[in-house]
Amino acid sequence: MLSGNLLWVLSGTMLLGIAAGITGTFSFLQKQSLVGDAAAHAALPGIALAFLLTGQKELPILMLGAGITSALSVYCIQWIVSFSKLKADAAIGLVLTVFFGIGVVFLTVVNRSPLGNQSGLNNFIFGKAATMTKADLMWLFISATIIILVSLLLYKEWKLLIFDPVYAKGIGLPIEALKATLTVLIVMTIVTGIQAVGVILMSALLIIPAASAKLWTKKLSSMLVLSAIIGGVSGITGTFISAMRTGLSTGPIIVLVAAAIFFLSYFISPSGQISKFRRKMQFRKQGELG
Amino acid sequence: MYALTVENLSVAYDKKTVLENASVSVPTGHLSAIIGPNGAGKSTFLKAILNQLPNKVGRVEILGKVFEPKSLVVGYVPQRNAVDWDFPTNALDIVLMGRYGHTGLFRRPSKKDKILAQQALASVGMEDFADRSIGQLSGGQQQRVFLARALAQNADIYFLDEPFAGVDAATEKTIIDILKDLKAQGKSIFVVHHDLQTVKDYFDYTILLNKTILASGATEEVFTPAQLQKTYGGKLFMMQNV
Amino acid sequence: MKRFLGVVVFSLSLLLFGCSADTTKEDREGVVVATTGQIADAIKAISGGHLQVSALMGPGVDPHLYKATQSDLSKLDKAEVIFYNGLHLEGQMLDIFEQMSKSKSVLAVGETLNKSDLLASDDDAMLHDPHIWFDIELWKGVVQAIGTKLQEEYPEFKDDFVANEKEYLKQLDELQVYAKNRVNEIPEKQRILVTAHDAFNYFGRSQGFDVRGLQGLSTDSEYGVKDVQEMVNFLVANKIKAIFIESSVSDKAMKAVIEGAKEKGHDIVIGGELFSDAMGAEGTKEGTYIGMYQHNIDTIVDALK
Repeated sequence: MLSGNLLWVLSGTMLLGIAAGITGTFSFLQKQSLVGDAAAHAALPGIALAFLLTGQKELPILMLGAGITSALSVYCIQWIVSFSKLKADAAIGLVLTVFFGIGVVFLTVVNRSPLGNQSGLNNFIFGKAATMTKADLMWLFISATIIILVSLLLYKEWKLLIFDPVYAKGIGLPIEALKATLTVLIVMTIVTGIQAVGVILMSALLIIPAASAKLWTKKLSSMLVLSAIIGGVSGITGTFISAMRTGLSTGPIIVLVAAAIFFLSYFISPSGQISKFRRKMQFRKQGELG
Repeated sequence: MYALTVENLSVAYDKKTVLENASVSVPTGHLSAIIGPNGAGKSTFLKAILNQLPNKVGRVEILGKVFEPKSLVVGYVPQRNAVDWDFPTNALDIVLMGRYGHTGLFRRPSKKDKILAQQALASVGMEDFADRSIGQLSGGQQQRVFLARALAQNADIYFLDEPFAGVDAATEKTIIDILKDLKAQGKSIFVVHHDLQTVKDYFDYTILLNKTILASGATEEVFTPAQLQKTYGGKLFMMQNV
Repeated sequence: MKRFLGVVVFSLSLLLFGCSADTTKEDREGVVVATTGQIADAIKAISGGHLQVSALMGPGVDPHLYKATQSDLSKLDKAEVIFYNGLHLEGQMLDIFEQMSKSKSVLAVGETLNKSDLLASDDDAMLHDPHIWFDIELWKGVVQAIGTKLQEEYPEFKDDFVANEKEYLKQLDELQVYAKNRVNEIPEKQRILVTAHDAFNYFGRSQGFDVRGLQGLSTDSEYGVKDVQEMVNFLVANKIKAIFIESSVSDKAMKAVIEGAKEKGHDIVIGGELFSDAMGAEGTKEGTYIGMYQHNIDTIVDALK
């Protein structure tokens, strides 16, 4: 029952969930979750271009293309904010739609070429977790390992960088290098994750586990661990559910599971609505008695 | 030796000159106030000195050396609102950040670092709040944590940006006592200050700033109605009380 | 000023209406557009050089997902007659054909066939399997429908069309004989054809194969882990030697299936690449219907026998 394809998809989506949970926490606290969304959408033109230029559909080449355009989009957003009057939200919207639009145009060209459809590039829009093989699993494993290791190494530096970048600069932390490293990890997560959940839903995995974890804890270390767990659990559970019937796509179901976890957290966590309601009632009662 | 030497410092944003040819030399061991009206460029002056601004012209020396960001001898206490206090961490953790320069990249803070952090927290009267998450701190408590962070650095010179803004009287007293204590230890402290009522009591040195340095020196010499008139222009109302 | 504008607008609209009026049969140039290569091939065979025939969808193109671009629309606009498969094969283009049919001759060749001869769709009771070109007998019917339409539209070439059509139908009969002989080389138990999507049901019915696809009738149908697992189990249980990828569909799923079967101790190979919804490169043998069909037969037989 638990052999072969199902096992690969389970492991792959679990690793993706963990990686996305960790990097997503850092980008969430930086208030840059939407930048992750733009970066994910921006992977599409890179994939199509890589195929068009090399004629290869091997995963490493496509991932390289995806990584380049994805990282480029992050810097485009920064440049637009620095050198124009546009604020972050407009810059992000602009970059996301332009890059994605270009990607769709490239994909149209790909689909009209003789080898285009066989390359399966269309699967990167919504993901195709069901076709994960041992090779895909390996990339996800490497990614997740690197992300965990680097996060452990740079934990305190990133903590300070995100909380108080001015102070961090003041005591001599290499701000640009630290920011760049974080960007690289986020892009790595995106690039390895989009084959499973696609460019459109990838940002959900970066945002939802982190946002859910924040509702449960006030410590960064706990938030990271919890976010990784929620991401991993969403991956596993989503895969199991999608494996119950034919014709169910895994990626969207993983996102739905994550969303359900957030929804639950929103209500039953210590900082959630039910607790708030209880406290309010308690205050009222005290007011009446006192 | 001079604590701070500034020569012809100019800063411009978007073609507007915010600071123009500011020059000042302050000897070590003083508790100095930087005062001026709103929009005079006080915070900009501070940031420019600390190399936080890329588009500055002029020469700055701190404790005789051109300032490098890696210098651990400079303690900076920024404005409280520059930071998101919703960040998931506690007071001790923030103070511990002051030790990161000493700890080094990739390493965990040592036991010694943790002890120093706790001592710094205690010196601002917040030792009971070590585990409190920062989102639950009041304005005054947040300010004290920031000060403790700078203290944990064990710096020789401190720059504080409006530390008394929006802070209760007890906290203000705690902070100024610590600053006076630092001065007694021979350290140099610079404070961007907004409350003219307390300048004479708190600071022995004053720098008057409005787009440029208009005057600087011992408070009793420089903090006069004439100088204040020049600095604040028509913006000063309560001259009699000063 | 308003009056002047009104006159200008009125004249312009007259011009526009004038431009879109049907050209009479005398000024025609013989421009015919088809959607798939198979249909274009039949038209070319019948028309024998009298007409300018082009196909919108080239080799490797997936008609289920194909979205027409501006250049396609202008191509269709310039055409005098449009042929498409119908039966929902060109799923994203239905509105366009409806629009075009208002001002020119449009024929859905698949829908000229007798519904009782068609295979029903598993997913939707109202729809039929559109991959009719894999049943040579059915396709002959399509060829005849095309021939009739062409004679109707270009009566000046009727004699040539009739002769060419007869010749083409003869070739199709020969193709069927070839296919039957080759298929007999495969032991009956091995006549199981596994491909990426359900494009070969008609092939299976007419050539005597059990057919299974990973995806449904259309390549935009969803499939998940369970579909992959079921396919793997089917392959292992039936000890299938080879499965086939398609030229216009992603092969990642088939590769995942092979790896899954290998994991269970059963070695399967990719028997070859089949032409499912599209044909081969123009100018090559596989770029013609007969060549394409033959390639498929040869690939399948050589892999499974």
